[in-house]
Amino acid sequence: MNPRTRRLLEIVLDNLVWFMLIFVLAIFSAFVPNFFQLGIFANIIEASSVLGVMSIGLALVIITGNMDLSVESVAALAAMSVGVLFCSAGIGIGVTLHPEWLMVPASLAIALVVGGLIGAINGFFIVKVKMNAFIITLASYIWVRGLVVAVSGGRSAQDLAPSIRWFGIQRVLGIPLTAWIAIACFVVFSLIMAKTPFGRHLKMIGGNEQATFRAGIRVTRNLLIAFILAGAIAGMAGWLLTIRTSGATANLGVGLLFNAFAAVVIGGISLKGGVGSLPGVYAGVLLLSSINTAINLMGLPANFTQVIHGLLVLAAVLLDTLKQSIRHKLA
Amino acid sequence: MSEPLLVLDNIRKNYGAIEALKGISFSIDKGEVVALLGDNGAGKSTLVKIIAGGLEPTSGRMLFEGKEFRARSPAEAKDAGIETVYQDLSLCTNVDVVANFFMGREITRKFLGIPVLDERAMEREVAEALANAGTRIPSLRTNVEHLSGGQRQAIELNRFVHWGGKLVLLDEPFAALGVEQTRRGLEMIRHVANQGIGVVIITHIMQQAFQVADRIVVIRQGVVAGDVATSQTSPDAVINMITGEAVAGAGPVG
Repeated sequence: MNPRTRRLLEIVLDNLVWFMLIFVLAIFSAFVPNFFQLGIFANIIEASSVLGVMSIGLALVIITGNMDLSVESVAALAAMSVGVLFCSAGIGIGVTLHPEWLMVPASLAIALVVGGLIGAINGFFIVKVKMNAFIITLASYIWVRGLVVAVSGGRSAQDLAPSIRWFGIQRVLGIPLTAWIAIACFVVFSLIMAKTPFGRHLKMIGGNEQATFRAGIRVTRNLLIAFILAGAIAGMAGWLLTIRTSGATANLGVGLLFNAFAAVVIGGISLKGGVGSLPGVYAGVLLLSSINTAINLMGLPANFTQVIHGLLVLAAVLLDTLKQSIRHKLA
Repeated sequence: MSEPLLVLDNIRKNYGAIEALKGISFSIDKGEVVALLGDNGAGKSTLVKIIAGGLEPTSGRMLFEGKEFRARSPAEAKDAGIETVYQDLSLCTNVDVVANFFMGREITRKFLGIPVLDERAMEREVAEALANAGTRIPSLRTNVEHLSGGQRQAIELNRFVHWGGKLVLLDEPFAALGVEQTRRGLEMIRHVANQGIGVVIITHIMQQAFQVADRIVVIRQGVVAGDVATSQTSPDAVINMITGEAVAGAGPVG
């Protein structure tokens, strides 16, 4: 094999999920009636904003060879915190600030801090006390959701302050601001992962933690930051969720965790750690969102979405194995 | 003779009731190559980890360049100028050669105050370092997982030659190397020592120790069983020190 075809093949392998996305979009455009419209594509992007942001945090932690099952509950807690404070109906206490726009950064800051705090608790037990990440974050997944139910008393908050709600309605180039925020997050974190020493270190920790420790990288500190970031990003996803639904319910976002996992795996991130990049995850999120939209348009019962998502994850893992064996032949 | 580079004074390490090191004392001079020999489980690797900051001694004192020294982490040891090459697990196979070479000391440029990796500068330096050492690796941008065992070890060896520092610890660095690469590796060690860097090399192969070391330190059951100049001993005498049969020429027993 000459070097050029080899490099071409490498590029295809590295970006396989994007090719899958294009392929699936082409198929849907050709065979699903009414699919090929700008409005539909904008819809796909919009519907993927919350899941997309949540997947970033999950991906960061998985790349380091760890696990965070708590992102869904953390998003819900952040959403509930914002909901209770800034909603005026239901259990909302309707805090108002002057000038009104101040509520936007204030609510975002609250969501980030709530998320970051849970992330720090996870990180402390996993990194400092050296407990198993799976168990610790499973515990958080349960107790944080419990906290959401307890705080809300099972009731909901409605009527989010209009100045925050504005984000959910405003569109730029036909795409809602919330989706732009998700895209901006992907760009920023992709750059961090690919271009900064911090991102490089996270990836290397996922590859061989002991080697990075011996090389003098501050593994504990880096991992702690990764968990805090994952929590804060999940908090941001919760903030977007409140904006989209203009309130918060006790069961807000249930099931998002598994979609986030699916997106991360489909996006080419190995659960063993150290492998994968964030742009792929965004493609994975868009892929899931496209399939949901197609199912809706075809009028299939929504119950099938879950079956298809499951099969898709299976296909993604199979593909990953296939990719690895091709790479071995390339080397 | 000026002061020694590193002095170990009665270093002990206990794991619960087990005494891995029972009071190790010896010293290393600048530009000196010391071969650390001993049977499996004698405590060589434990000792190296203590110097390198991977483990803390239970008791004892270390003097580095005449000053009290105790590394609490590999980062601290590195800052002091101590480089370590371990026999296993020191490369991240999921990233490329350049990233491994610079692990933890990436060259960065500031962009809006944020440190950004300067890939070009790093690649240039790695290419230069490998060329100087005569190591050939097809592409510096291939992930290390695609490289052979020999190529991987060559990267590690080149890494320590490049970074140098003041003291280099090598824990069985040639385990995966072929004959020719081992010869080159031994040359690298002499080259490094000639620059005034102290070298401690752990090896199981007597021939290598005699080829490269100025002095041989034998550890047996957690104590120094022999500390002799290479020129004043023989492989047979050293083997006897390792196994514990005292013979003339074995030097002082500590």
